[in-house]
Amino acid sequence: MKHFMHLIASITVLIILSGCLPTSVIDDVLIIEAEGVDYIGGNKVIGTVTMPNYVQSSNPGSSGAGLPTTASMIRYLSGTTYDGKSLVDRFQENGQRALRAGKLRVMLFNKGLAKHGLRKQIDLRNRDPEAPREMNLAIVDGSCKKLLTAIDYQTQIPIARYIQDMIEQNNKQNYPESTLESFLYAYYGDYMDPFLPVIRKSGDHLETIGLALFKSDKYVMELPSNKVFIFKMLFQKFDQGVYDFEFASQKHIALKNVHTKVSYKVKNGNSTSPDIYAHVSINAQIIQAYPKSINKTMGPKIEKKIEKHMAAQAEKLVHMLQKKQIDPLQLGQHVRSHTRHFDGKSWYDRYPNAHFHCTVDTTIIQTGISD
Amino acid sequence: MYNKINPTHTIGPLSAFFLPQVMQIGIGFLSFQQIITKFSEQDGWLATLISGLSTLFVMWIILRLLENERHFGRPDIFSIHRRIFGPWIGNVLTFILMSHVLLFSFAFLRSYIEILQVWIFPQLNSFTFSIIFCCIVWYIVMGGLRTISGVCLLSFIYLIPLFILSIFIVPHAHYENLMPLFDHTPLSIMRSCYETTHDYLGFELILYFYPFISQPEKARKWAFRGVLTTIYIYTTILLLGIIYFSQGEMQNTIWPTITYWKSVRFPLFEHVDIIAIVILLWVLIPNICLCSWILARGIKFTFPAIKMKHSLIGILVVLITITCMVKNGLQVRTINNIYNGFGFIIIYFYLPLLLFCQWIKKKIGRQSA
Repeated sequence: MKHFMHLIASITVLIILSGCLPTSVIDDVLIIEAEGVDYIGGNKVIGTVTMPNYVQSSNPGSSGAGLPTTASMIRYLSGTTYDGKSLVDRFQENGQRALRAGKLRVMLFNKGLAKHGLRKQIDLRNRDPEAPREMNLAIVDGSCKKLLTAIDYQTQIPIARYIQDMIEQNNKQNYPESTLESFLYAYYGDYMDPFLPVIRKSGDHLETIGLALFKSDKYVMELPSNKVFIFKMLFQKFDQGVYDFEFASQKHIALKNVHTKVSYKVKNGNSTSPDIYAHVSINAQIIQAYPKSINKTMGPKIEKKIEKHMAAQAEKLVHMLQKKQIDPLQLGQHVRSHTRHFDGKSWYDRYPNAHFHCTVDTTIIQTGISD
Repeated sequence: MYNKINPTHTIGPLSAFFLPQVMQIGIGFLSFQQIITKFSEQDGWLATLISGLSTLFVMWIILRLLENERHFGRPDIFSIHRRIFGPWIGNVLTFILMSHVLLFSFAFLRSYIEILQVWIFPQLNSFTFSIIFCCIVWYIVMGGLRTISGVCLLSFIYLIPLFILSIFIVPHAHYENLMPLFDHTPLSIMRSCYETTHDYLGFELILYFYPFISQPEKARKWAFRGVLTTIYIYTTILLLGIIYFSQGEMQNTIWPTITYWKSVRFPLFEHVDIIAIVILLWVLIPNICLCSWILARGIKFTFPAIKMKHSLIGILVVLITITCMVKNGLQVRTINNIYNGFGFIIIYFYLPLLLFCQWIKKKIGRQSA
C-alpha cells in the first residue's frame, strides 16, 4: 500500500511538472529553409524567407493519398526591416504557423549588403543556437528576393535545396569549401579573411560565377570563376577540380585534378618582408586536349609548361590579394604557425610586402584512352 | 565494531576506476577550451596535461593518507579529521570540505540547467527541472552506494558515443593552428593550469567512499588508471577544439564542444547537439547522486542521531533552493569560479598539509608512547 502511494505520488508530480514547455511539432511549424537579405540603403534591408512548398512537388504518392497537410502553406515571406534583425522574428506575425530556423539551409546576401558589411548578420547566426552551422552562405549577384521567389526554374524541388545542392557540389570540385562554419572560422580568426561563392539567376537556372573575397566582413572584390582553381589549389587539398590551360592561342588542355596537395614554409616571419614558400603538387589526368597536342611521350614537356604557368598564376593571384590587403588564403595564419613569438600587431603592415614564392609539381598520370 | 562495513554494502575494486573518473567528467568539458586557451592559446593542451599529471600526484597523496589511516580506524576523511584535530575542529573542517561537495553538485546542476535553457528549452523553469531531477537522485541514493556506482558505470558507457562524435572534427581540422609549439611563457601556462582544475576536480571524492571499496590494494591502480583516462579524454578534446576553431572564434564561443556538435550533420537529423545535451544528463546524475550521498553520510557521521534518509531530503531541498536563487549566466560563472578556487586550494594545499599533519601526529604519538 505504501509503495502504491509512492507510485501515485510520483506519477502525479511528474504529470503536474512536465508538459509545461512549448513544443514544436514538425507538422505544425513552418520550417524556414532559406533566408535572403537585400540591402536597400540607410541600414534598411529587404528580407525574404522561403519554406518548402509541397504542393509544387509532383510526388506521385501524394496525389493518391490526397494533398499533404502542408499543401496550403505559404511559400515565402518578404518585407523590409533593419540590418541585423532576425528574419524569423520579423515575419512571425505574417506566418501562417510558427516559424522555426532549425533547418536553415542557405543564407543569401546581395552585393549591396556585402559591401555594407555582414557584421550584424554573422553575429546573429553565431549567437543563434537553433541555426545549423553546416548551412551554406552565398553572395547573390542581383536581388536575393528575385532569386528566391522566382517560379520559372526548371526544377520542382524547393529553391533552398536547389541552391544548397549547387553550392555543395561546387565545394567538392573547383570551389573552396564555404559553409557558415568556415566563414566564422575565418571571420573571427586573426590574420585571415573570409570568402563566399557568388551565385546568380540566369534565365531558368542558377549559376555560380565566382568567389567574393572579403576584408573582415566587407566585400572587396570578386574572383572570376576561371581563377578559382588556382585559389583552391593554394587553399586546401582536394581531388576533383578541372583546370583549363590555354597553352597557345585558341589551343586548350583540360586537366582533371586527381589529387592536389599544398604545403607552406615560411622564413623570416617577423621581418618586414617575410618569405612565404608554397609548394603544390598536382596529380592530374588529361580529359580534353587540342588534337595532336599531347601523347605519352610529350607528357613531361607539357607538365613543365603547366607548372610554370600555374606558379605564375598563383604568384599573380597572391600579389593581387596583397595589393588589396586581404588574406582569404590564410597566409597570415601560416606565417604565424611557422614563427616563434609571432608579431601579430604589425602583420597587417607587413603582409603587403611579403614575398610569395610558389612551386608547382604536376604529374600527368594518364592522358585518356586514345593517343 | 562500528568501524566494520557490511560486505553487502561494499563496492568492487573496479569502482575506484569508474567513480573518480565519472566524477571528473563534468559539465566542464563543454566549455573548458575557451577558458584554457584564453591565456595559452595553442599551447592550452600542455596545461591540461600538466594539470592532469599533477592530479595523479594528488591521487597518490590521497591514497597515502587513507592507507595510513587504516591502522587507526575507518579510512575516510571524517575519521582522519576527527583523529588528528579532535572532534570539534575536525567536524568544522569536515563541514568546510563538505561545503565544497555541496558547491560541486550545485555548480554542476545549475550549469547544466543553464545549458538546457540556452540550447534547447529557453522556457525551462529551473525550479521544476531541479525538483524532477532531485526525485531521480533521491531514488538512486536511497539504493545505496552500490546503486550509485552502477549509475557511474552506465554514465561511463553512455558517454563513449559522445566522445566518438569528435571524430567528425578531423575533416575540418586546421593542423597549423597547433604550431608553433611551446610558444608561451610558463606563467601563462600556469594560469591555464589553474583554470583546468575545475575540470579535474571530483577525483578527490574518493576520500569519502574509500572504506566501501573491497580489496583496496587492487583498487589503487584502478584509481590511477581512472585519472589517466580523464587526462586522455580532456587532452584529446582540447586538441581537437584547437584544430577546429580559430583562436578568435574560440574566444567568441561559450560552449565550444556543443557548438562543434551543432555542426555535425546527418541526413536524417540536423541537431546532434540537442541529442548530446540530453545524453549529458547522464554526466549529471552520478555526480549529484554521489555528492548527496557524501553529504548525507557526513551529516550522519557528525550527528549520528540523524538518519541518512532524513538528511538526504534536507540536502536535496537545500540544493533545489540555492539552484533557484541563481538567475543568470553571470552568476553561474561566478559560482564556477568560486568552486574552482576552492577546489584548487583543497587539492593542492590542504591535502598535502593534511598528510603532513598526519605524519606529525604519528611522530608525536610514537614519542609519547
